[in-house]
Amino acid sequence: MNRPQPGRRALLGATLALPFLGRSALAQGGEPYVLGTLFPMSGPNAEYGTVFTAGAQLALQHIEADKVLKRPIRLQAEDTQALPQQAVVGMTKLANVDKASFVLVGFTAVSKAVAPVGDRAKIVMVNGGAVGPDLSGLSPYFWNTIPLAHLETEALLPYIVGERKLKRIALVYVDDPLGDAILGALRDGLPKAGGTLAGSFSVPRTAQQFAPVAARIRQTRPDAVYIASFGAQQSQIIKQLRDNGISQPLLSYSAMNLDSVKNTAEAEGLIFTTQKTDFAGGDAMTKRFAADFKARFNSDPGTYHVNYYNAVWLFGQLAAMNEAAGRPVDGETLRAALLEKREFDLVGGKGRFDDKGNLTAAIQVNELRGGALTRIAG
Amino acid sequence: MLFLQLLQGGVQTGALYALTAAGFALIFGATRIFHFAHGAAFTLAGYAFLMAWNAGWPWPLGALAAIAVAVLFGVAIEQLVYRPIGRHEGGFFTVFVAAFGVSIVVQNLVGMIAGRGFAVIDTPLSRATEVLPDLWIAPVFYVAIGVSALLFLALSLFLTRSHAGVALRALAQNPDLIRTYGLSSTRLSILAFALGSALAAPAAILTGMTVGLNEAMGHHVMLISMAATIVGGVGNLKGAALAGLLLGIAESVALAFVEPQWAEAVSFVVLFGFILFRPSGLFGVAVAR
Repeated sequence: MNRPQPGRRALLGATLALPFLGRSALAQGGEPYVLGTLFPMSGPNAEYGTVFTAGAQLALQHIEADKVLKRPIRLQAEDTQALPQQAVVGMTKLANVDKASFVLVGFTAVSKAVAPVGDRAKIVMVNGGAVGPDLSGLSPYFWNTIPLAHLETEALLPYIVGERKLKRIALVYVDDPLGDAILGALRDGLPKAGGTLAGSFSVPRTAQQFAPVAARIRQTRPDAVYIASFGAQQSQIIKQLRDNGISQPLLSYSAMNLDSVKNTAEAEGLIFTTQKTDFAGGDAMTKRFAADFKARFNSDPGTYHVNYYNAVWLFGQLAAMNEAAGRPVDGETLRAALLEKREFDLVGGKGRFDDKGNLTAAIQVNELRGGALTRIAG
Repeated sequence: MLFLQLLQGGVQTGALYALTAAGFALIFGATRIFHFAHGAAFTLAGYAFLMAWNAGWPWPLGALAAIAVAVLFGVAIEQLVYRPIGRHEGGFFTVFVAAFGVSIVVQNLVGMIAGRGFAVIDTPLSRATEVLPDLWIAPVFYVAIGVSALLFLALSLFLTRSHAGVALRALAQNPDLIRTYGLSSTRLSILAFALGSALAAPAAILTGMTVGLNEAMGHHVMLISMAATIVGGVGNLKGAALAGLLLGIAESVALAFVEPQWAEAVSFVVLFGFILFRPSGLFGVAVAR
C-alpha cells in the first residue's frame, strides 16, 4: 500500500496556502496600498498612458524616498484604450478584486463612465488629463488636478480675439463628451470675447482622413482653426489641414502637450493653452521634480507629468494624515482629509482644492516654435 | 468646386483602399483564409519605410524594404500560424482569433519599438497647391493614381499570362484539381500571401505620407478591406479593388451632403446596401441553393 498520499497532499496544500499566509503576515507588517490607473496603454491613445504613468511613477519614487507612508504603494495598471467600456471593466476589477482606494483616470468619456462605479465603491478617482467641464462635481470622490476646458478657453479667447484679432474661428472637434464640451465653451465664449464661430465640424474618434474636412473648413473663410481632439488623431488633423491649404493659425488646448505633436513639422506655430508651471524658477519641490524627472526619463517634464505626479503625491499626503490619526486609509477618510486640509505643497506651487475637489490653477497660452513651447500670454 | 475637391480626395483615398483591399481579396480568394492580420502587414510596411526614410535611405531602397517586411510577415504567418491550424483542422473562428491575436501582438511590438503615437513620412509630395480656385491638389495624388494603376495592370498580367498566376486562380476555384495536376497548393498559398502582403506596402507608404502612421491603424485598414471584399464580391480581386475605390470616394464625397462625423458611416451604408440588395457583391456570382 502506498502511504505517502496524505503527505503529498499536505505538502501541496501548504504550498498553495503560502501566498495567503504571506499576505496575512504582510498585512500586519504593511500590506501595500493599491493605487489603480485607468489609462490607455495600447491603441491610438497609448502615448498618453505612457506620459501619465511616468508622472505617477516619479511621485511613488519620491514618496518612498521620503518615507512619507508606513506602508508601500502598489501601482495596479488597467488598460482602457481610452474607451469607456474597457474602463468600466477595469474600474470594476480595481474595486472588487484589487480593493484599490485611489484610482488615477484620464479622458472625459472614460472619467464619466467610471465615476458611478467609483462613487458606489467610495473610491477616490483623480483626473489629471481630461478637461470636459462637466467633470467638476461628477462625484464627491472624483477630483481634478487639471484645469477644465472652460477655464482653458476662457484664458485663450481674450488673447486670440483681443490681441491677435482672430475673430472668425472654425472648430474641428471629436464626436465625444470632450469635443461637445469645447464646442459649448466656444459657442458661449466667442461672442462674449467679440468673435464668432465660423463653422464647426465634428469627426468620429476613429476618423483618419481629414482632407475633405479641410475643404469644408476653407469654405468658412476662418481667421483661425481650433482643434479639439486627442491622441494620434490630433497630429493627423494638424498635418492634413496644413497639407490641404489651411494656412491660418491653429489653436487648441492642453492635450497638444505631447512629444508626437511637438515633433510634427506641420504643428509649427500651433497656439494652445496649458496650466502655468515654472520648472526653472519655481519652489524647491518643483525644482526637485524637474531634476529627478530629467534624470529618470531623460526628457523634460510636461504638464501631464505634473498633474499625475501631484495626484499621487496628494495620495501620499492624505494617507499620511490618516496614518498619523490612526484612521484607515480608504475613500471616505481620504476625502475627509482633503476637505480638512485643502491646501497642499505640490509641483507648481501651493495648490488649493475647492469643495468639489478641483485644483485651482492659472492658465497660460503657449506657441509651438521649433519643437518647444514659448509662453505668449497668461 | 467643393464637390470636385471632395471627389479628387476620394479618388486618392480610394486608390489606396483599393490596393489594400485587393491584397486581402487575393489572399482570401486563393486560400479561403480570413487573414485579419493583413492590417498588421500594412502597419509593418509603413513603419519599415518610415525607419528607412528617417535613416536617410533612398526611397526605392526604403520601398523595397517595406515590401520585403510585408512579404516576410505574410509568408511567416501563413507558415507558422495558419498552416499548423489547418493541419489540426481548425475552423474559421480559430483562424480569425489567431489572426486577431497576431495583429494585437504586432500593434504592441510596433508601439514598443517605434514609439507610441503619431508618426509621419515627411515629404513635400503631400503638400497641396491651389491648381484652380478652391481646388487643391498634392503631387501624391498623381503618385497614388499612377502606382495603383501600374500595380493593377501588373497583377492582371501576372494572373492571366503567367503559369503561377493561372495556378493561383485555379487554386481559388478547385484546390483538389490543383493537386491532381501535380501542383503544390502549399507553394501557391505562400505565393498568394506574398503577393497580397506586397500590395499593402505601397498603400502603407503613401498613407504614411498623407495621413501618417500609428501602431493601431491596422484595424481601420482591415475594416475597409473587409467591406471592399464584400461589396466587390467575395474572392473577386477586380471587384475588391473597384469597391475600395468606391468606398474611398463615397467617404469623401459624402461631406458635400452630410456632416464629417457621418463620412465613415456612409461607407458602411454602402456595404449594408450591398448586403441587402446584392449580397453577391459587384462582381460576385449568385449561387442558387
